[in-house]
Amino acid sequence: MTGKWMKNLLIYAFLGFGAFLILVPLYICIITTFKTEAESAISFFTLPKSFYLNNYIEILENPKLYYAFGNTLLVAGVSLACNFVIMPAMSFAVSRSMQDSKYFRVLYYFLLIGIFIPFQVRMMPLVKLMSGLGILNQRGLIILYIAQATCESVFLYVGFLATVNKNLEEAAYIDGANTFQTYLKVVLPLMKPIIATVMIREGLAYWNDFMLPLITLNRSWKSWTLTIFQYNFQSEFSVDYSLSFACFVIASLPIVIFYIIMQKQIIGGLTSGAVKE
Amino acid sequence: MKRGWFCQLHAIGRVGINMRNTKNKHSLLNDKKLTYGLFVLPGFAMYCCFFILPIVLGIYYSMTDWNGISPTYNFTGLTNYIKIFADKGFRKVLGFNIKYTVLLVAGTTCLGIFLALLLNSKIKGRSIFRTLYFFPAVLSMLTVSLIFNQIFYRIIPVLGAAVGSKTFSSNILANKNLAMYGILFVHIWQGVALPTLLFLAGLQTIPEELYEAASLDGANVIQKFRYITISYLLPTLSVVLVLTLKSGLMVFDYIKSLTEGGPGGATQSIALMIYNHGFVQNKYSYSIAEAIVTGVIIAGVSAIQIKFTERKKVQ
Repeated sequence: MTGKWMKNLLIYAFLGFGAFLILVPLYICIITTFKTEAESAISFFTLPKSFYLNNYIEILENPKLYYAFGNTLLVAGVSLACNFVIMPAMSFAVSRSMQDSKYFRVLYYFLLIGIFIPFQVRMMPLVKLMSGLGILNQRGLIILYIAQATCESVFLYVGFLATVNKNLEEAAYIDGANTFQTYLKVVLPLMKPIIATVMIREGLAYWNDFMLPLITLNRSWKSWTLTIFQYNFQSEFSVDYSLSFACFVIASLPIVIFYIIMQKQIIGGLTSGAVKE
Repeated sequence: MKRGWFCQLHAIGRVGINMRNTKNKHSLLNDKKLTYGLFVLPGFAMYCCFFILPIVLGIYYSMTDWNGISPTYNFTGLTNYIKIFADKGFRKVLGFNIKYTVLLVAGTTCLGIFLALLLNSKIKGRSIFRTLYFFPAVLSMLTVSLIFNQIFYRIIPVLGAAVGSKTFSSNILANKNLAMYGILFVHIWQGVALPTLLFLAGLQTIPEELYEAASLDGANVIQKFRYITISYLLPTLSVVLVLTLKSGLMVFDYIKSLTEGGPGGATQSIALMIYNHGFVQNKYSYSIAEAIVTGVIIAGVSAIQIKFTERKKVQ
């Protein structure tokens, strides 16, 4: 009994230390935003003497923030919606034809090649290609995000579909359903856990992406996303770091709130569907 | 009895399909082929145009001397590649990046497994810990590095001076020998969250009875870990290794916002070098060739690593 007690104590000690390491930077970031420039220069860890709100007011009065928020929401939302319509259906088709059709087998590996190719290979030609097509804007970014998510989505969906029993589908065919109906009514509901996993992964990636918006949207501030807004804000006000911290807090707030509300589903979704072999 | 138009339509459709099915089996097969084709088409088209095409274009440009701006350029064959292999700068950057990646992969995997084991133990409040430990993955890499940049710059030196440590009393990101470890700390701080969760998922696939049976057979803790835990975690390990490897060899956001490759080029990573060559120094085609060489290295190492874990899995 004492052995078990000791073991739990050790576990708490390690987990507590890790939690401390995770929380301290966040704590510093948040309390700094409520300090004046002068106060933040002398004390890092103490709570602010008076809740100084001007940092937040200054950022919230900045019209660029609202454009950035709207753009990020639009790009991430539409990309996710398109991913949801296109990828599970494609993976279903690939997964169910792979055994019989050589073409689909080749297609599967063709869709996976991208996993090993670093982004930098595509980066420069991509900018040329998109400016040639006149889509260096939010619409273009959405298209890029969908194309870019293909490898990982197909890899995860096909892997999951291999573990799904085909009896239900065959029963649907016998009952007279066509392929589309079978997919929509039988297969898609079964794919829920893995869809949640992919959506969460891609959603976080879209929301937090820095590189692609940097090379496609960094022209007019009306097309900035939140990360570009933060980056440019930081370079503009690098001296006043209470202000830049306030900017980080506001820019991260939507995704943090989303995480806190959805934490059960997110952790559950990622742990149940993540690796199924 | 009045039925909605949708139900009626649906019923008619079903009868139609049933009739078709009884007529011949070929119509179902055709229906399958047609639907599968339609399902694949949009995604395939986008993937080809906006993923594969840029790669093909990149391979072509890498064999020219284009600077990315001028209207004309010459085809130069493999000149860029030959230049890369003769380039001492590239070898130095590659050396740094490999060292960085090895430390990152080792750190992330060990810490990830360790944390997953802790988070999988039956203790009170473990769901709170799980939520907290995944939290860093929710933030953007940019935000995290900008916060740590300020912490390294303004806070750590003061603490270091207070405890009388000479190494920590100045900004470690400005120290040639320590800057890499500063970046690694930030990278692992955020990067370990997802692998931890993946390992946790892997741990949950291990049947409890296996451990009990092993205990009855007199296996100790280390043997149980080696023969049961690790062998069940191998598929996850394979995924985590590939992901971390790629994130290490292609590290960009952290280095760009923490050190910009400094001090004195001590933390220059491959991705940063490619970015600088391509966008700042106008060595457009050369930078693509560098990216392709790196891509081949990543693909090669990943393939070897997957082969290795596959063989282990069989045993």
